[in-house]
Amino acid sequence: MKAAPFAYVRPGSLDDVLAELAGGDGKVLAGGQSLVPVLAMRLGRPATLVDIGSVASLGDLAVTDEVLRVGATVRQRRLERSAEAAAVPLIGMAMPFVGHRELRSRGTVCGSLAHADPAAELPAVAACLEATIEVAGPDGRRRVPAGAFFVGAMTTGASAQEVVTAVEFPVARPGEGHGFGEIARRHGDFALAGVVTRVRVGDDGAVLDARLTGFGVSDTPVTRDVTSIVDDGDALADLAREVVDTGGDSHGSTGYRRRLFRVLAARELARALRAARKERT
Amino acid sequence: MTTHRTAEPAPAEGAAAPTCAPARGRVGAHDVVEVEMTVNGSAVTFRVPPRMHLADALREQSGLTGTHLGCEHGVCGMCTVLVDGEAARACLLLAVQCEGAEVVTVEGLGSAEEQHPLQEAFSHHHGLQCGFCTPGMLMSSYDLLANSPDRAGDDELPEQMSGVLCRCTGYRGILAAVSDVHATHPDGVPGPRNCAARTLVGRGSGSAPAGPPTAQPDSTAAPVAEDVTIPTGAPTVTVTLASALAAPVDAVAAVVSDVERLVACLPGAELTETLPGDRYRGRAGAALGPVKLSFEGLARVVERDPQGRGLRLVGQGRDTGGSATSADIRLHAEPDPGGGTVLRAEADLFLSGRIAQFGRALAGDVSRRLFEQFAAAVDESARTGTAPTAAPVGGVRLALRAVRDAIRGALRRLRRG
Repeated sequence: MKAAPFAYVRPGSLDDVLAELAGGDGKVLAGGQSLVPVLAMRLGRPATLVDIGSVASLGDLAVTDEVLRVGATVRQRRLERSAEAAAVPLIGMAMPFVGHRELRSRGTVCGSLAHADPAAELPAVAACLEATIEVAGPDGRRRVPAGAFFVGAMTTGASAQEVVTAVEFPVARPGEGHGFGEIARRHGDFALAGVVTRVRVGDDGAVLDARLTGFGVSDTPVTRDVTSIVDDGDALADLAREVVDTGGDSHGSTGYRRRLFRVLAARELARALRAARKERT
Repeated sequence: MTTHRTAEPAPAEGAAAPTCAPARGRVGAHDVVEVEMTVNGSAVTFRVPPRMHLADALREQSGLTGTHLGCEHGVCGMCTVLVDGEAARACLLLAVQCEGAEVVTVEGLGSAEEQHPLQEAFSHHHGLQCGFCTPGMLMSSYDLLANSPDRAGDDELPEQMSGVLCRCTGYRGILAAVSDVHATHPDGVPGPRNCAARTLVGRGSGSAPAGPPTAQPDSTAAPVAEDVTIPTGAPTVTVTLASALAAPVDAVAAVVSDVERLVACLPGAELTETLPGDRYRGRAGAALGPVKLSFEGLARVVERDPQGRGLRLVGQGRDTGGSATSADIRLHAEPDPGGGTVLRAEADLFLSGRIAQFGRALAGDVSRRLFEQFAAAVDESARTGTAPTAAPVGGVRLALRAVRDAIRGALRRLRRG
């Protein structure tokens, strides 16, 4: 038992959760796989943990023609093992890199987004796919595009009185391909540098649209339109210089991370392009 | 690190929406609440403050110290247990979060007598050296082979098993063991082998989860329960003993059916209070080398032989140093065809805390020595009709004899081999 004392409450409805958060000194607990280590190291000392695990309405996992909707209490491993995940191929590509099995069995998808670690995989996937994050608060529900949700390192557009209720990932469209790659010191560690890509091609195989999101390289996921430079190595090197702005540390210098980014970007754009063209044929 | 995989396929049962824990009102930071869950097949009630994690609750309150603690912040994997069928870090789960959960620890995976195939394979492949990571490795590999056997191929296995750290084996033996079990059980491993309702005895503080809840306002004092329940499940050790006494059976029966005389015959034991309902409060001491145990406990006679020749006694005791014990003892005297009496005892002992660390063999030897002294005292009491001359527990001598016997046993086994 290393955490400082905190009060605990597990409301049965979203309204009750919001009532508990209204004071502003509560912290939402979903899977706890990022929050509990923070508490254990006493880097955070919330007065109250508001466990959303008993709010049945936040457990929805459903796919439509447009979106894959993942409720706030849906655990990463449940999504990983679900049939619904196939609609968003990047989920399956990124999930094996999210911690370890033993963490994904309790960690939630929305919790990872709300924690907003700049080196985390799922926020980058959400940013690259232009996912929509649904937030509930005292003034009702609002929908935030992922690109605007991540404000800074471990800082999001949701206030202390609000709770993330769901995320909606757009399902893959015809002619779409994806890439995901990261370099970490050990499997399960946060990435030194990582890249998520999405490329769309037309019937003739020409690139219509290409997006790239880097993670672990700045204080938030960084997304760029790379439609015109999909196979331009020099331009990707320039992009690496622009995007990678973390300082060096014992795990790797800024220059090393830029090189990782450049190599990963080229590799994962090529992978996405191949997949997109294969999808068209 | 950049190899590519697809997500786990199979919309398996494990992918179904888990059932919600019931809502719970606010628990103050320094309040203690009762949390019910199932541990290794037994219903348990933990009494925890909100910040107590599951691993501490399991270790401190149910005596299940097989779940180890390393970093206590989710990195090392020592505390890996199964929660609702999937591996999870017990240090990253608050006990209060796990209301209604089904928890399986390494103790539930198998027993010494009936090991799980994974345990046998770890032994066979030398998948352990110091053993500290072994519970975590076993529970993690069980999860992999039970829930995602399609991800356990040799190319993926090292990364799949990277959630638990080992600092001595270099992982080779561990991977060989898991790979071996995967090959013999390609579609999933057999379930845990040691999950059944049983008696879990807590360590020093907190309440013993089994039995009716009792008021224990001060958890620092070693609490003594108000009633005793018959322990269930597999005991730590079962001792079956017999001793030939010179006294005739009726004289022995007179001692056996009189709890006060009986206790007087037990080395180191003292009856402090006789309660209604055939219940008795007392204390017992034992010294094993440097270890001195002093138990305060309660016992109840649950069955008496109609002829007065035997009884069944259940008891539970607690040591201020953090050891706890429950016992179910059947004692019976029968006439010896050659004259005299044969006194038989069968005892199921449930041990936790320091006392359990002596291991089965030693616990058995100590019990045998105690019983021999006890039987001799019963014999004396039966023949003289008085309380026996108080024989102090020959602590050091007792321990030395037990150790000597254990060494002799080991030597015999060696010679046989």
